[in-house]
Amino acid sequence: MENEGRRTELLERIGSRFDLDLRVADDGTVWVSVGEQKLGDCLAFAKREGFDHCSAISVTDWPEEEAFELTYHLWSYGHKLLLTVTSRIDRGEATVDSAIPLWGPSAGIHERELHELFGVEFSGNPDLAPLFLENWDGPPPFRKDFDWRAYVRETFYEEGDPRERSYWD
Amino acid sequence: MSEATGTETMAEGRRAVDGYDLYFGPVHPGSGNFGVKLTVDGEWVVAARADPGYLHRGFEKLMEYRTPMQNAVLSDRLCILESLNWNLVHAEAVDRLCGTEIPERARYIRVIMAELSRIQSHIIWYGVLSKALGFDTGFMVAFGYRDYVLDLFEFVTGGRVYPAGYICPGGVRRDVPEGTKKRIEELLVKMETMLREFEAYDSKTIAARCRGIGVLELDDALRLGATGPVLRASGLAADVRRDAPYEIYDDLDFEIPVREEGDAFARSIVRRREIEESIKIVRQALDRLPAEPLPPVKPKAAGKIPEGEVYVRNEIARGEAAVYMKSVGESHPYRCKIRGPDLLHMIPVLEHLLVGAEVADVPAIYWSLNICPADMDR
Repeated sequence: MENEGRRTELLERIGSRFDLDLRVADDGTVWVSVGEQKLGDCLAFAKREGFDHCSAISVTDWPEEEAFELTYHLWSYGHKLLLTVTSRIDRGEATVDSAIPLWGPSAGIHERELHELFGVEFSGNPDLAPLFLENWDGPPPFRKDFDWRAYVRETFYEEGDPRERSYWD
Repeated sequence: MSEATGTETMAEGRRAVDGYDLYFGPVHPGSGNFGVKLTVDGEWVVAARADPGYLHRGFEKLMEYRTPMQNAVLSDRLCILESLNWNLVHAEAVDRLCGTEIPERARYIRVIMAELSRIQSHIIWYGVLSKALGFDTGFMVAFGYRDYVLDLFEFVTGGRVYPAGYICPGGVRRDVPEGTKKRIEELLVKMETMLREFEAYDSKTIAARCRGIGVLELDDALRLGATGPVLRASGLAADVRRDAPYEIYDDLDFEIPVREEGDAFARSIVRRREIEESIKIVRQALDRLPAEPLPPVKPKAAGKIPEGEVYVRNEIARGEAAVYMKSVGESHPYRCKIRGPDLLHMIPVLEHLLVGAEVADVPAIYWSLNICPADMDR
């Protein structure tokens, strides 16, 4: 109940500050979606409001709509609330400001991962070196249009080999 | 390093080696499939760079091509050392998206199994930390006791390490076999004996090697994204089971062990105390376990996940685990982001703690974080 009150108050504050698409899910988590221009402001506001733990940052790929959807999952140890901020950015020029000034290395490491797997640029992040892949020169592999089945087939199997023929059918 | 010649004096030879790179892992017996490149000057580490990726299997992408029941089996592999806990995070994400009501008995069984998995994971940590400190007795004792827990996992799920998605969307794969309650009660007594043995070792061996080592201040812990026992050993009583209760944790009575020191010893005490709390939780859950038998959960052919998105957080042995799942109404998730505690613990936190440490303390710091490369690389 105490949480309920805090949540309503917080929602009002965020709502009055930004013109936002905002909803509260059945499990009590708060979801906010903002335009690309307002993303930085909204994240800074969330940090000031006590969302001190950047739980995760994620990217969802929407190739047909030419967009990447960024999701910032923020937890407040004080309010005990989960806030998710989502924003769509242009897939062709996927660049956003880094969240390092707000949450430090804990945001930086998620950005480093997303840079490698989705090819999103985070300007201001000094360390976007590859994390998991070695000597990889293909497209970012977690994008929806990367056909990993075809990649595996062409890289590891011989079409002429009768034992591996079935992979090509 | 220059080749020493007979004409060089000892002092000249020494001057030529002021700083070198030292690889800790990925083939170190205690490192797991993960390495850290240390730049060492004399006995001191001056820089550390984590080298992940040896266990990257692309689970997030694989899950986009599979149904929730298949993904439940995949979720075992997110962390070899605590597969049931990861089963639970994944199952909860699907349940919330589908709006599934979980039978009361299944929720109790989920918590019992997850807590036993937490105990088992902490035992492995104790064993490997002991090994890293050169204290082989601790390792043998811990791994001996771990086998009792694995016996129980085998009895209930069929698998010792991988339960094959026992905690699955919709509840648990099948009800626990007859006699489980008695076996768990006997197991808990063994765990208490084990804790007494651990306690006896702490005052000497563990304390001598861990006290004052790898101190993580609370500010740094928050900035670097530490969660779970690592954060609690630095003084913040944050636990998802208490702060945002899931399953039946709201109804259970347990404490959150906290220490202020932030060193490797504090982290070890917090984990040992957590085993005690988990034993308490399992006893309470066993006492209240509803008697109504459970029907087995059968995978639905061509079942669709309703459109929507969820972000589900759980407290696993290593810290905060979460799954972000987005569905567009197909039979498999459109996106499944997995947030493991070890991406943060093994890269920012570990790199931070190792700089300035003595080379001999590296294994103690490394294992005081209880790291698991599997959930970092995914």
